Amino acid sequence: MADSHAAPALGPAALRVFDLGLGQMLWSRRTVFMALVAGGPVLIAVLLRALASLPVFDGGAGQIAGRPVSLDGPDIFGLMIWTFYLRFTVPVLGVFYGTALIADEVEDRTVTYLFTRPVARGAVLAGKYLAYLVCTAVVVLPSVMLVYFLVVPLLGGDIGRNFPALLVDLGLIGAGLAVYGAVFGLVGAWFRRPLLTGLVFVFGWEPLVVVLPGYMKYLSVAYYLQGLAPHAMPQGDALSVIQALLTSVQTPLGTWANLLALAVIWAAALAAAMRVVERREYVLGQ
Amino acid sequence: MSRPVVVADRMSKWYGQVIGLNEVTVSIPPGISGLLGPNGAGKSTLLKLVTGQLKPSKGHVQVLGEPVWGNPGAYRRIGYCPDHDAFYERFTGREWLTALLGLSGFEGERAAGAAERALETVGLTTAADRKIGGYSKGMRQRIKLAQAIAHEPELLVLDEPLAGLDPIGRRRVIDVIKAWGRDGRSVVVSSHVLHEIELMTSNILLLHNGRILAEGNVHRIRELIDEHPHTVRITAEDPRRLARHLLGYPHVIAMQLQDGAVVAQTSQPDAFYAELTALAAGDEAGAVREVTSPDDNLQAVFSYLVEH
Repeated sequence: MADSHAAPALGPAALRVFDLGLGQMLWSRRTVFMALVAGGPVLIAVLLRALASLPVFDGGAGQIAGRPVSLDGPDIFGLMIWTFYLRFTVPVLGVFYGTALIADEVEDRTVTYLFTRPVARGAVLAGKYLAYLVCTAVVVLPSVMLVYFLVVPLLGGDIGRNFPALLVDLGLIGAGLAVYGAVFGLVGAWFRRPLLTGLVFVFGWEPLVVVLPGYMKYLSVAYYLQGLAPHAMPQGDALSVIQALLTSVQTPLGTWANLLALAVIWAAALAAAMRVVERREYVLGQ
Repeated sequence: MSRPVVVADRMSKWYGQVIGLNEVTVSIPPGISGLLGPNGAGKSTLLKLVTGQLKPSKGHVQVLGEPVWGNPGAYRRIGYCPDHDAFYERFTGREWLTALLGLSGFEGERAAGAAERALETVGLTTAADRKIGGYSKGMRQRIKLAQAIAHEPELLVLDEPLAGLDPIGRRRVIDVIKAWGRDGRSVVVSSHVLHEIELMTSNILLLHNGRILAEGNVHRIRELIDEHPHTVRITAEDPRRLARHLLGYPHVIAMQLQDGAVVAQTSQPDAFYAELTALAAGDEAGAVREVTSPDDNLQAVFSYLVEH
């Protein structure tokens, strides 16, 4: 007969939930959607490679139709990282997975099996969050690497020389997934319509506040991620104007300040989400 | 006298404006106890409060001597089988049990052994490596029971565990529950069919409109039930052939064919279920897939009880 003792510590309990949740998450319909989202930039990279093989690009490295251009492969890659990954794929995945960490289990009514085990409810959320991180990283990071190898050699870019920047990009995307996942994990645990709330935050709040003067931008994740982007922005042509619009106001914060801000948001959001899940009753529909 | 397994003190549960449970004070003794009431009586709410899934709006509940809401350590001692049909469909029965045992602190060989024992107990060893999504309704009920017993809890809480089972599966589950009680462990089992509860225990708790109507060894209920015809719906491979057999029973007083099922009314539920089980075990009436009992039977008796 089982003995009564305290619930296992948060870490081991979360790892057990992670074991259970990862397979479930990897083979969900949501992952098909995620693969499509992450596959989009790869498709665009393939198209760029195909375009680069056209005669107009025959002038050599850094030339289009014999005219020198200030944009090269690494610049295009940097632009893609910002626009496709950090401003779209990462927050969208954060919204769709983060808000569903507990909501899916409640909707499927499988949460009963998790909440009647000797693990703290907060550990259930933490375990599901870990599964989300692994699941999204497994799909998104290879997509980034594929785009890197397809795009960086364009217009004379050097794969080897830009490799450190790729590592920074991968770290940045990992940080983005972690922070957005925690924020939307909290939204999912707290709000009645978490998906809508999350989408409004990503596509309404964040794009607005990062271009507005004042302090509102500090209440976004994108602002701090933007400050960590390693790519120098090309200047003096039409593309740089578009890029400037997309990246908006440059952050005055330093690298460590941005990292610290992201760490604080991550820890606060995750701790708050766990607390909400611990205290909230989930009444399942019949 | 041994300590009660569940003690509720003026416990109420509201869902907004709706009362799920109203000032329930009850002490459930060790052994097997049946929670009987029509649908909507508050049985599931009471069991969810007992298993710490819900927090009482008012009052208190203690299970095995300790509070259960927000006390996950207590779940080592409790096994819960919910009434709803929800699973991780892509898991095999064995994978699912092993994963849930992991959450109960079982690892490696110990988890595998416990899963195997639970599968054997509910008769699912041969289907253990098939995906749950491909299980029949009866198999799904049994794997649900397996996850509740696998970690060998002191208290089993079962919400309508016989719903949707065929006669053979029903017999097996009843045997599991009775064996659990014989081993000195406790079971709280809910149903809206008195006959089902009676097969497992004579200690009954009557619940109606969120209140406890009566508790203990309720013989009068049995008599009342017998005064009302008992309706049984049997989904079968060949309903006409089954109906021909059932017509031969003297206690069957009415019968109707409905969408692949026979709906029979009997004046002697005990005899009816015994004969139906024997019939299902043989081949002469074709396969019997599911036996359900609409709660009209009990509703009539409860209405009578409330009026008197």
